[in-house]
Amino acid sequence: MPAHPLRVAVVCSSNQNRSMEAHNILSKRGFDVRSFGTGTHVKLPGPAPDKPNIYDFKTTYEQMYNDLVRKDKELYTQNGILHMLDRNKRIKSRPERFQSCKDQFDLVITCEERVYDQVLEDLNSREQETFQPVHVINVDIQDNHEEATLGAFLICELCQCIQHTDDMENEIDELLQEFEDKSHRPFLHTVCFY
Amino acid sequence: MASGVGEQARGSASSQLYSNEENAALDMTTSEKVVELLNQAALISTEEKLIVLKQVQELIINKDPSLLDNFLDEIIAFQTDKSIEVRKFVIGFIEEASKRDNELLLRLIANLNMLMRDDSVNVVKKAILTLTQLYRVALQWLVRTKSVTDMQEACWDMVTQMKEDLLALLDSDNDGVRTHAIKFTESLIITLSPRTPDSDTPKKQEGDISLDKIPKDHTYIRYDTLCEEGKSALEQLLKFMVHPAISSINLTTALGSLATLARQRPMFMSEVVQAYETLHANLPPTLAKSQVSSVRKNLKLHLVAVLKHPSSVDFQGQISTLLQDLGMSQSEITRCTPAVVQPRKRLHHEPYVEGKRIKMEGTLVEDDEDKEEPAPVVTPKPSSSAGTQSAIDLTAEFLLPLLSPENVANLVLISMVYLPEVMPASFQSTYTPVESAGTDAQIKHLARMMATQMTGAGLGPGLELCKARDEEVKEEEGGAAESSSKDPLIIRKMSAVSLGQAISVLGSVAAYKSPVTEEAPQIKKLPEPILPTSQPKAFGASGRKKVFKLADVVQPFSAAQIEKLTNMAIKRILQSEKAIAQTGMSHVRVKLLARLVTQFEGGRKNDLLEFILEDMRSRSELAFSLLYHEYNEFLSQQPSGSLDSYEQCLFTLLAGLQEKPEQRDGLFTKLVLEAPVITDSALEVIQRYCEDESRVYLGMSTLKELILKRPSRQYQYLNVLLNLSSHEKEKVRSTALSFIKRMYEKEHLRDCIEKFALTYMQFLVHPNPPSLLFGAGEDTEVASPWTEESVRQCLYLYLSLLPLNHRLVHELASVYTEAIADIKRSVLRVIEQPIRGMGMSSPDLLLLVENCPKGAETLVTRCLHILTDKVPPSPELVERVRDLYHKRVPDVRFLIPVINGLEKNEVIQALPKLIKLNPIVVKEVFNRLLGTQHSEGSSSMSPLTPGELLISLHNIDSSKCDMKSIIKATNLCFGEKNVYTSEVLAVVMQQLMEQTPLPILLMRTVIQSLTMYPRLAGFVMNILARLILKQVWKYPKVWEGFVKCCQRTKPQSYNVLLQLPPPQLASVFERCPEMRDPLLQHVHSFTPHQQAHIPTSIMTVLEANNRKPEPEPEPQPELQHPEVIEEREREVPVPRHISMPVPKHISMPAPVLQAEPPAPTPIVFTEPPAPLQQQQQQQQQIPARREEVEEPMEQEEIAQSTLEDSSEEALQMEVSEEVSQSSSITEKTDEPIEESVAKPVDVDAQPVDESEDVDAEAEESSVD
Repeated sequence: MPAHPLRVAVVCSSNQNRSMEAHNILSKRGFDVRSFGTGTHVKLPGPAPDKPNIYDFKTTYEQMYNDLVRKDKELYTQNGILHMLDRNKRIKSRPERFQSCKDQFDLVITCEERVYDQVLEDLNSREQETFQPVHVINVDIQDNHEEATLGAFLICELCQCIQHTDDMENEIDELLQEFEDKSHRPFLHTVCFY
Repeated sequence: MASGVGEQARGSASSQLYSNEENAALDMTTSEKVVELLNQAALISTEEKLIVLKQVQELIINKDPSLLDNFLDEIIAFQTDKSIEVRKFVIGFIEEASKRDNELLLRLIANLNMLMRDDSVNVVKKAILTLTQLYRVALQWLVRTKSVTDMQEACWDMVTQMKEDLLALLDSDNDGVRTHAIKFTESLIITLSPRTPDSDTPKKQEGDISLDKIPKDHTYIRYDTLCEEGKSALEQLLKFMVHPAISSINLTTALGSLATLARQRPMFMSEVVQAYETLHANLPPTLAKSQVSSVRKNLKLHLVAVLKHPSSVDFQGQISTLLQDLGMSQSEITRCTPAVVQPRKRLHHEPYVEGKRIKMEGTLVEDDEDKEEPAPVVTPKPSSSAGTQSAIDLTAEFLLPLLSPENVANLVLISMVYLPEVMPASFQSTYTPVESAGTDAQIKHLARMMATQMTGAGLGPGLELCKARDEEVKEEEGGAAESSSKDPLIIRKMSAVSLGQAISVLGSVAAYKSPVTEEAPQIKKLPEPILPTSQPKAFGASGRKKVFKLADVVQPFSAAQIEKLTNMAIKRILQSEKAIAQTGMSHVRVKLLARLVTQFEGGRKNDLLEFILEDMRSRSELAFSLLYHEYNEFLSQQPSGSLDSYEQCLFTLLAGLQEKPEQRDGLFTKLVLEAPVITDSALEVIQRYCEDESRVYLGMSTLKELILKRPSRQYQYLNVLLNLSSHEKEKVRSTALSFIKRMYEKEHLRDCIEKFALTYMQFLVHPNPPSLLFGAGEDTEVASPWTEESVRQCLYLYLSLLPLNHRLVHELASVYTEAIADIKRSVLRVIEQPIRGMGMSSPDLLLLVENCPKGAETLVTRCLHILTDKVPPSPELVERVRDLYHKRVPDVRFLIPVINGLEKNEVIQALPKLIKLNPIVVKEVFNRLLGTQHSEGSSSMSPLTPGELLISLHNIDSSKCDMKSIIKATNLCFGEKNVYTSEVLAVVMQQLMEQTPLPILLMRTVIQSLTMYPRLAGFVMNILARLILKQVWKYPKVWEGFVKCCQRTKPQSYNVLLQLPPPQLASVFERCPEMRDPLLQHVHSFTPHQQAHIPTSIMTVLEANNRKPEPEPEPQPELQHPEVIEEREREVPVPRHISMPVPKHISMPAPVLQAEPPAPTPIVFTEPPAPLQQQQQQQQQIPARREEVEEPMEQEEIAQSTLEDSSEEALQMEVSEEVSQSSSITEKTDEPIEESVAKPVDVDAQPVDESEDVDAEAEESSVD
């Protein structure tokens, strides 16, 4: 087991549902975890599929919550968005964008292939200095509440297993293969460097 | 969780710091603070230690660097801390400190080197990261320093050494370490290659050192050396990438590194793109499906990044094809493609030219010590339009015209055969339907893909051409520049030349030479050049300078010159291999070389042989050609010709192949099989080849082929193989044996093999092993004695043939009879496997048993044992053994293995003899008879049931066998508690009791059964009562035992005693007077009515001691009617136990379980005196049990019989009784009995390991 706790980042597109669900569970399990989104904006479902609510990353969860309460409290209570925002604001104040964060991690877990690509692109476009490796793993999770919960548990299990390896880098390959077999979903996995 | 602890620690540490500051007031200097902190750090936990140390670092590196030097040692001392994190901190500190003050590198680099070898992978990784940084720092520092001290030199040497070590870590076992090593390699290549205007350098690394900033006149740092190191690092990286079992993470890392290289050092663009192409066409088969997609995603990402770089212009075609294959649309690709800017192209080539020039200068600098700076030469070669033509390009070009629809269709059909059963993961994910089949573009693409594959596999004209170029360039530059192969300038020139026309070898070299010589004078303008003058060079140079005059040049050569030129000519022909292969005339070259070399004397042949051996695989044709020419030469000189030259040639080739560490493609075999003649020395090489454990199989297959296909000398070859069959290496031997076994099936080889095997076996007759066995080769006897090993050596072959030809077994028997005891023993040990292989149905084996030569009895016995060890003997075998036993050798030991096949009466007859044998053997016999030895050999196989066995033992005529042995044998039976259960013993006692005369040992057995199974007491009482009816006192020994038994079983026996006629009762009291009083008391305890039943005569005897004994006539008949006894017996116990639930104890098993826990071991302990209740139960059983045994009682007959007085036996019983009574109750029953036996060593008392039995027994019999 590495001496220092694993620094984990969970990344989805808007830093609302999937990444926050995982953030929630991981921090409860004692991980040094942060969550991010990779989109240019934070998007939440609106009254119709083509009318999403769009915020920028500076908007706090609190503000979004109030905004949606004002717009249609009934609708957003019923589809669980308010509940989610309520949960989120208790974890941190506002969504964060992965590309704007310069902190280093040991492990970045993405929730969608598109997000994985964006993370990779961002990490590869940064100037390398320390050559400290960061492993990026993609776990595909559909963007709804149930899948987010299931996905968060899977991510948590994965993180726990990785945290418990003696030599993470040497064992992660095999570990992921095992997880693939167990969870019946493929993981994309790569390594980048800071 | 952990972070919580960290925070806490941080909190406490900072509060400490805070309070420290407070206490020490403001005048506390930084130095004091550091001392304070360091003192703390030595004592606190890891978490806090880290925080404190970080504070120290901050203080002495950033706040007051002047302190750095003072406290260096203190901090470094933490490098041996047991915490990984602290050690990592030290590494970080080394990095920071060295960056702050480069001079510290002198002191710190050795520490870093040490930490690089740390046990913890995490520390090693951190050290790698740090060296990545410090390598640049050190280089920069040294470059800045104009005059380098010895210390600095040593420091740089160490850094260089560490760099090499780190590159070697690319082969580390640890994935993470490899990943870090890759990144180090990347950074090393960047540093050790020049930055060019089109380099895409990250801003932060603007100031970093790179090759272009290294002055060429530095006193210690060599520009050219570094340049070479950089190139070799790149080569290592590229080589690493094509490893077929590379892990997906390593591969991803390497892909990223290559992209970085391509962008920062566009000069490597060609290698990078080629590496990508190769990878794309040959994804490692070890990757899982998801890993394949991860890798492909990465490849795409990096390709786009490379494509975006302006220098990718020349490779856009290839890159976009790759991207299309990876699933990117044309429009996306176009978006990523930079606009073509014309000047870029020139820029792109310049670094190459420069690199080339520099390298050449470097070479010269090394050669000429005296000169200072060579003038920078600007001779950019007119860049040829083809750009960098790599091996792939060339092969693709070569393939393109060949890809006609017909050819392609054929290729597809051929490759159908090789399709795997399951679609590989990599194919599944990489497959994209071919959209534009048949178009030019697609054909080109196909050609390129095939070229990539071929180059990857080391095939194709392009690769050969490039290799040839490498070699020649190397040759030319005197080996100084090893990796100049990448030099596109020369490649271009050469490829143009060699592609263009079929050229003479000499011509090609000359054409190539000119640019070099052209350049040389220019470089050498300033200093006086001392060029290593080789003739063609001088020739070329002078020719250029002067006006050409033939007369000046043409002079007769001296002999030495001629010799030299001849050599060089041949050398050139040798080296033109690739170029000529291209023209398709290699057969001419091969022939030419072979002819030249065979016809001219001198060292050329050795050169040629060496050349062939360098790469035997591709030069085998040359090898064969040479060999045939040599042989031809020999034939043409017949009859006087000698084979020497041919032999030397063949020998060198074979020996060369034999010494090569790895040889998988069967070249050796091919060479041996196709050589016209195998000479003796060649045969020796073959033998050595066979003795090499890693190649033994290949070697022997070759030998086998030789034996089968070269009949003229097959016996000689066979002999080699046969000799190997007794080789001391197990693998060699076993392989040889298996080959020989196959050969043995061939009719014509059979005799020879057999003869050899028998000859070897015959050695065993000699008193000492022949020296032949030790490889001396002479058949003289040496004085060393036979050892187990040497005996085996003589037998390996024979024993492996034995199962194939059973007839041979008779030979073994005859050798055996003559051999000395040691050898006999060894033989007995080794024959197990083969004899078992033959099986008991083998007629020859049966014949052996039947004939059993004199002196081979032990051998036969051993065979019998082996055969019957696991399976019951067959009737045939039993028949032979019986015959042997009855007619020829009446040794009862023969019967043991087949004892279960014998008739019952035969066994009984043999018993007296059998039990007289050694105790271990007897045990074995009993195990066989009782079926306790083998799981399969159940007792039902035995002709005797356990009960019958015990009874037969009792009935052994004491004239045939002494009592001691019989007693020991019965003890063996009693030892098998699993077999001799109380039921079995009851039956035995019952039957013995019915015999007339009574067996001597009857009472002994009764007592022993009683000791083993106290619950038999009731039954024994019954027996005793019946014995009274049989007038037991007429058998003195039995009577004695009877009394003992009564003594032991009191008070139950009182009732029995009371049934005795008065004289006998008196006799009892005579023997043991102490019985009298208890018995009397017993009678007194009766009710008056009961007492009335006691005859007065008995009472008289009972009371004899109190009063004067009055012998009264017996009023009652001496023998009571059974009913009376019964009644009386019943009467006695009943009133006392009226309350006991009788039915519960009627059946035997129930009380058994209660009364006596089953003994886990065969060792029998006497039961502790049963508690009262238990005794009562047993007493109560008597009536119930009586019924069971009643039947036989009716038919009892009272027969008098004289019993031979066996005082010895009586004595034993006496002693056994005494001892068992006096000794503690938990004592083994066997023990006292055994003690009475005269034999001092008691075998049975010792635990005998069953598994050892057979061996031990065999040992025994052989020593006899």
